[in-house]
Amino acid sequence: MVLKIFFPQCCNKADSGLLVGHWLPGQDSAVVLAVIHYPFIPGQVKQYIHQVGCVGVGWKNEEAGGEGKTKEEKTGEEGDKVIFVHYEQRKVMLSQLHPTDPPVPLTQSTSELRQVFGTVSQSESLFFLDKYDDSPVKLTHWQSEGREGSIIVELMKQASTPVCLLTAWILVVCSLSVSVSRILNVFPLRFISSKLCSCVQLSYRTEHLQTVSSPTRATSHTDYMRKANIFMSFLLDVTLGLLLIYWLYRENRVGQLANALLPAADRVAKELEELLQWLMGAPAGLKMNRALDQVLGRFFLYHIHLWISYIHLMSPFIEMILWYVGLSACLGLTFALSLLSDIIALLTFHIYCFYVYGARLYCLKVYGLTSLWRLFRGRKWNVLRQRVDSCSYDMDQLFIGTLLFTILLFLLPTTALYYLVFTLLRMVVVMVQGVLQLTVDFINSFPLFALGLRVFRSYTLAEGVKFSVLCEEPGTPLHLMMDINPLKFSSVVQTYRTATYSCYPKDSWLALCKKLFLGELIYPWRHKTTKID
Amino acid sequence: MDMLLLMGADSGLGTGPGPAVPWRKVLWERQPFPDNYVDHRFLEELRRNEGLRQYRYWAVVREAGLVAQQISCVALFLTLWLYMEQGLLSPSTLLWSGLLCALLGYGFYQALGPQGDSDSQQRTRWSDLQSASIFLSFTFGFSPVLRTLTESVSTDTVYAMTALMLLAHLVSFPYAQPSPPGSLSLNAALFASVCLASRLPGDHRASRGLNSSSPSSLHTFTMLCWALLVFALWPCLRQRLRECAPQGFGCVCLLMGLSGVGGLGSIWPGGAVLLAAVLGAVTLLCPLLLIRLQSDKDNIHGPWDEAEIREDLARFLR
Repeated sequence: MVLKIFFPQCCNKADSGLLVGHWLPGQDSAVVLAVIHYPFIPGQVKQYIHQVGCVGVGWKNEEAGGEGKTKEEKTGEEGDKVIFVHYEQRKVMLSQLHPTDPPVPLTQSTSELRQVFGTVSQSESLFFLDKYDDSPVKLTHWQSEGREGSIIVELMKQASTPVCLLTAWILVVCSLSVSVSRILNVFPLRFISSKLCSCVQLSYRTEHLQTVSSPTRATSHTDYMRKANIFMSFLLDVTLGLLLIYWLYRENRVGQLANALLPAADRVAKELEELLQWLMGAPAGLKMNRALDQVLGRFFLYHIHLWISYIHLMSPFIEMILWYVGLSACLGLTFALSLLSDIIALLTFHIYCFYVYGARLYCLKVYGLTSLWRLFRGRKWNVLRQRVDSCSYDMDQLFIGTLLFTILLFLLPTTALYYLVFTLLRMVVVMVQGVLQLTVDFINSFPLFALGLRVFRSYTLAEGVKFSVLCEEPGTPLHLMMDINPLKFSSVVQTYRTATYSCYPKDSWLALCKKLFLGELIYPWRHKTTKID
Repeated sequence: MDMLLLMGADSGLGTGPGPAVPWRKVLWERQPFPDNYVDHRFLEELRRNEGLRQYRYWAVVREAGLVAQQISCVALFLTLWLYMEQGLLSPSTLLWSGLLCALLGYGFYQALGPQGDSDSQQRTRWSDLQSASIFLSFTFGFSPVLRTLTESVSTDTVYAMTALMLLAHLVSFPYAQPSPPGSLSLNAALFASVCLASRLPGDHRASRGLNSSSPSSLHTFTMLCWALLVFALWPCLRQRLRECAPQGFGCVCLLMGLSGVGGLGSIWPGGAVLLAAVLGAVTLLCPLLLIRLQSDKDNIHGPWDEAEIREDLARFLR
């Protein structure tokens, strides 16, 4: 039987004394936590050991000064193979073994490593007393080499509670005022605010701030990391937003932007008009039905004319609106980006309208054609049985059905072409909006704090351990050194990503193609309404 | 060439269990024979060519005449279209003659029909009038749209589509029961007529027509009315004639065939010759072929008995 003893490195140079630690049942291992020095009163030591909940192992550490050899005699079993695993107590105590999902209570069925880590981190009460304290029991452990402290960290810890309370109070006041004003116009405002990205982003950030500013301390490692990540991402957001404001307002770029906006809108409208003229001719050599072509083309041209008049009407106010909108970037870069996405949606509203008209016309046509094709063959859709049955039609039904079928069939290429063109335009706009949303999502969910921990204090996020041989001679027990394997970067990002309302494609490619073919309206991005952890 | 011998399980002299009990062809009783045993009455109940019909030549010719009839209908329709396309016949004349024919036909139909009570006859006349008005109004309303429908499609495509559709019409026509014409055949014929109607040339001269619609809409309208007459209403009248006045039916058939050939011949003689050949083949040649080939028929019907293969199959593996 092989016995494994986990021995802290800090105790290597300690004076001789009694080793206290935990015995791990079922694994044949013992974790040594500290050394109690001579002289001590055995009764008091026993009481102390029971008090802190350790199991005292009756070993004697015979050392004299430096790194001597240790003679271990375990009462009872002799002639067993013993392996010493040296570990850095401070690092093991502060680190968290991943995956962190299983809950804390250590049973016999959790792995040995996890039990070791758990034992060390749960023995905090043991580490309060030191050999320099004036108590009947003098211990040596990792803190004997000196505690770390920093004034700034302490001050921040003291200041954090009142700041949290203040932030929480402000948030409550804001949300109350918003909800009061919402009671006045219930339906239209809620619908609009659910469609606008900026409102969604605002509500999301408010939730975050509420999480961060709750005065209760984080209980588990996951909660702590989440709070820290949210806080860091919020800071990053605001910093980037302030940078953006600085850049925008420095050389009156806002004014330049406003002046460039109107000609840009005009240019877009003119391009659309040219496109329609091209469609009304013989586009790409395709031969269209001239009458229908003219009707559709003129209809859309009139729409564009209306849109341009509207833009011209708004032109005196654009600069002021842009100025205030730019200021709102102080709430964060994500908010500015979502505002930009909303502005793009508003500016290309006419493209959206055209797409809806074209899609509805095409959908109607396809629907009519399938139904009339069934009539052509003498069949009918049976709604009750959800299948196609044969049916004997009357003469006039047949006649009119055939006429309509012929007409729809020959007008199909024209409608299909208009539908195709406007769908492509709409897809372009949707892509642009999607890219903006993805950026916002990335900034929202990136775990900056966890990555910082991984870079600067890699031992806090442990994936496993690695062993190296310190001393292997026949006749003496094997000595191994246990080092912590930090978590890989990709796993860090994956584990600690903040759950967001990220948008992702709603349909698979096949379903999307089918919808396009049938002319159903497409809203390819879907927001997750519930958070998935 | 070696032939496999398929025998019943008992042929072979003296083999098999000595039957104290005569074998019966049932499986619900335990018999001392194996399940696939059949005695000397193996394949006795096999029947060949059961229910074979003996055709008589002239009866078949008479039935085949219906197919020829339909072909000549199509030919007649095409003739009318050709006349209008070449401007030899003005659409208004055709239109009036069509309406006249329709009225005449309706009169004949009612005259030949079974004499029911006047009440149901009134109702039928009223619904017929409704149908007729629906036809006319819809056709008239859609004519301008139908006129420009195939403007951008090339002529060859249009002709190909027409030919395909007329072929489909001929193939799917319900020759046994033509009184309500089948959906697919009627629709195919109407589709073909719409295609053809949109290919008629527009008339640039001042209209001599009866109303203010543009001349080419009138072309389309006329074409569709005649299509309706020829493909939808004529088969009903023909069926009624056949049921009630068989002698008149024969004369009408002959008349149709001759007018089809003659009409086509006045514009395209080659076509007329072709049509005559086709009609002759369908009416006279195909029945002959059918009767000739009947004698080669060899169908096997009957309850099957299980066979046991007795030959040594190892020969085939060498």
